[in-house]
Amino acid sequence: MKADLSPRMRTALYGLMCVLLIPFVFPTWWMVTSSIKPISDIFAFPPQLIPQSYDWTTYSKVFELQPFVRQYWNSAYIAALVTVGTMIVSSMAGYAFARIKFPYANTIFMIVLLGLLIPSEVTIVPLFQMFLKAGMVNTHWPLILVPIFGAPSVFATFVMRQFFVTLPAELEDAARVDGLGRFKIFRKIALPLARPALASVAIFTFLHSWNLFLEPIVFLSSAEMFTLPQALTQYTDAYGGPMWNIQLAAATLTALPVLIVFVIAQKHFVEGLAHTGLKG
Amino acid sequence: MAKVNLSDIRKSYGAVKTIHGVDLDIRDGEFVVLVGPSGCGKSTLLRMIAGLETITDGTLKIGDRKVNDLDPKDRDIAMVFQSYALYPHMTVATNMGFSLEHRGGSKAEITERVNWAAGILGLTNLLDRYPRQLSGGQRQRVAMGRAIVRNPQVFLFDEPLSNLDAKLRVVMRGEIKALHHKLKTTTIYVTHDQVEAMTMADRIVVLNGGRVEQIGAPLDLYDRPVNRFVAGFIGSPSMNFLTGTITQRGFQTSGVVLPLATSTNTIVGQAAVYGIRPEHFRLNDHPGLASVPAEIMLIEPMGSETQVTMRLGDVQVIGVFRERINGAPGDVMHVLPEIGAVHLFSEDGTTRLN
Amino acid sequence: MAVAQENAYPEGRSLSPFWTIARRDSLAGFLFIAPQLIGIIAFVLIPLGLVFWYSLHEWNVLANTFTYTGAQNYLMLIEDESLVEVLGATAIFSAGLVVMNMSLALLLAVLLNQKLAGIAIFRTLFFSPVVVSLVAWTIVWGFLLQKNGGINGMLLMVGIEGPNWLREETTAMISVIVVQVFKNVGLNMILFLAALQGVPKELYEAARIDGAPAFKQFRRITLPLISPTILLTSIITIVGSLQVFAQIAVLTQGGPGLSTTVLVYYLYQQAFQFHFFGYGSTLSIMLFAIVAVLTFAQWQMRKRIVFYES
Repeated sequence: MKADLSPRMRTALYGLMCVLLIPFVFPTWWMVTSSIKPISDIFAFPPQLIPQSYDWTTYSKVFELQPFVRQYWNSAYIAALVTVGTMIVSSMAGYAFARIKFPYANTIFMIVLLGLLIPSEVTIVPLFQMFLKAGMVNTHWPLILVPIFGAPSVFATFVMRQFFVTLPAELEDAARVDGLGRFKIFRKIALPLARPALASVAIFTFLHSWNLFLEPIVFLSSAEMFTLPQALTQYTDAYGGPMWNIQLAAATLTALPVLIVFVIAQKHFVEGLAHTGLKG
Repeated sequence: MAKVNLSDIRKSYGAVKTIHGVDLDIRDGEFVVLVGPSGCGKSTLLRMIAGLETITDGTLKIGDRKVNDLDPKDRDIAMVFQSYALYPHMTVATNMGFSLEHRGGSKAEITERVNWAAGILGLTNLLDRYPRQLSGGQRQRVAMGRAIVRNPQVFLFDEPLSNLDAKLRVVMRGEIKALHHKLKTTTIYVTHDQVEAMTMADRIVVLNGGRVEQIGAPLDLYDRPVNRFVAGFIGSPSMNFLTGTITQRGFQTSGVVLPLATSTNTIVGQAAVYGIRPEHFRLNDHPGLASVPAEIMLIEPMGSETQVTMRLGDVQVIGVFRERINGAPGDVMHVLPEIGAVHLFSEDGTTRLN
Repeated sequence: MAVAQENAYPEGRSLSPFWTIARRDSLAGFLFIAPQLIGIIAFVLIPLGLVFWYSLHEWNVLANTFTYTGAQNYLMLIEDESLVEVLGATAIFSAGLVVMNMSLALLLAVLLNQKLAGIAIFRTLFFSPVVVSLVAWTIVWGFLLQKNGGINGMLLMVGIEGPNWLREETTAMISVIVVQVFKNVGLNMILFLAALQGVPKELYEAARIDGAPAFKQFRRITLPLISPTILLTSIITIVGSLQVFAQIAVLTQGGPGLSTTVLVYYLYQQAFQFHFFGYGSTLSIMLFAIVAVLTFAQWQMRKRIVFYES
């Protein structure tokens, strides 16, 4: 399998990969290009792979029809808070489960792992009731608190634990001899070394929060509070049909920044994910 | 610098006992090596002295302080680990100064101490590097530097050379010894390698199964091991053992009689184990009264000496000779054990008879 | 050693006798896990208890009634004729998704594991949908899959009249599966790629010396050695497939008919559109049971299919 490939084999592989790429890459291209076509062209036949004329007014409509800047901010700050919060909560818990001996550690770990078995969809009804009683419906609290402390962060805790388990025990012994207590060992030794794992936790968590859809539509009811995924689906005409060009423009604005960050940092991104405790 | 005193130190994990009461007095400035096969408890004992493992029972004193319940940081010790345990995300200088940072030393003070230690260990040019940029020997030196910057009462070494290749191990052995000579800090050194133990120690503690087998100066252990375990553990190649009976004519083992000193006459008739080191066989060209016929099985010339695997009666033994030996497997030569270097142990190997 | 006992804290700074190293470590451990544990209790365990409690009640939000009805909601599960269709759709969706996702991920990982120039660019591109906002990705696919959308437009150029993808039962199901597969297959692909790169090269060299052809090498060496990763990703993918909601909500709203109404979507409709919180809770319990059984079953299979574990 690892032998050098013949030129013919090489060409065949490149060809195969290019064909396979189409459904991965074309939708993004189509989204961006269609969003700048005049509305009359977006369903044109034959399909215009490259726009023949431009209409930038679509983009201004995105901001006119909804408080889109506000919604963008909502999504961004929620995702940022959730990401940072999850990194703190899960690195601490993951470290303790991997490294500290305390009574009932295994039982508690099993209880926490239950969170992996219970998708948030299962508990959405009681969560709604709980936040309703607390007066937090139509606020962002449910979208912040549940991911940081609840089921979604369990996966992050698991990833962190798997990482900390592999950290050489002698490093901590050395730190203890050097005079560090538990918390300082965690902060000065374990955490700095956990950067790759933290990076993938951050990526997962950010994407999870950024993509959250069910929770916002359950918990949020006014346009100022909406997050992006929810807002995108609200660009509809009087009959409830989608205003395609505006939806696509808003979708482009939502997707493109993350995509650009990804392309710039893709090496850390992909390798971070690959080299975390997920290898079985 | 301080003396270290262990009295009746015990360790158990639940019902499993791993250290069964160790008593040990280490003098101020002494270099003591704990040696034994893997699983003998030597590392556990060292980690208990360091404070990394709790002490189940007994008293541990460093200087005049009882330190059983103190944190490692309060015991005034420094430790060099098998994997070196250098912090990968810190430079050599930060690694070495890290413990001082946490003891509230001023920046200038830390820099001075680090430079001093780096000077001693030849690390001055490497202070800005990261551990991954260093060779094995350099990492080893940094690990020692981290220990000496603090000028602790006691150095603890946990198999510090076992990750190095054979050549470097010899070099570092010398450096550690020289360092001890210079600093004269009390040192406790754990190794499974008896050569390291012999060459470095002021005193060796031989451990087996969580118990002390013998404590003594290297050559005392070599010359007068108190039991079969120590006899077999110290020395390379290991001592040969033959079982048999002490008689008036000598030591009767299967097929041959081996010479004994006359002082053994008092214990004639007793079953025993006859121990003779490979280097204590002499060649005897002329078959004589005391010499023993040995069938050659394998000859391994080393240049400076020749190692011969041979059969005495029914037992296979190893002899090491200064002479070069011309022979082939199957040939018979005559060898003579040095009577003064014969060790006799009780049949169960627990006590020395001569 | 009686002497040692007598002078138990003679000199030196000893700690208070209660706070031994082990006790301080236990305290630290509890403090470290406290946020996570409290969160799990508040946002997972208590809601799980509540959802079970709710499932035993008839709860009409509009009429503001909350009546204990025992197992009646569970009997309703059996009588609910829609639920049969919903479970069927869920099964087809999850099975189709897992099979397509895993095989495509493995194929892509094997391709990306070849020594080819510029392979990193392909890797980036195959992975890119993972970072595209989920709803944005779904919207553009919905746009492409319209009757007069981009896909049918291109099919028409080669003379094929495409179906109205999202409005016909079979094609609607295929569409939602495919959209989801292309969105997330990159994750599994990366995990497989890492596993493939973890297989020691010597094994392939040995196999080549033994004369094993490439296919056999893949089946006898690669697959067994990456089986732990396959198991783990299949668990994650199955559990994930049962949570798919946004794609359905945006693309088909569960239609046509109930053909793409998966369990989560049905749950959402019952609870939050029709306000049957009691029955919605019963459906939640069912979802939980399915996830638990599947996970447990796959975990048990570990012993059979995983040849090697690190």
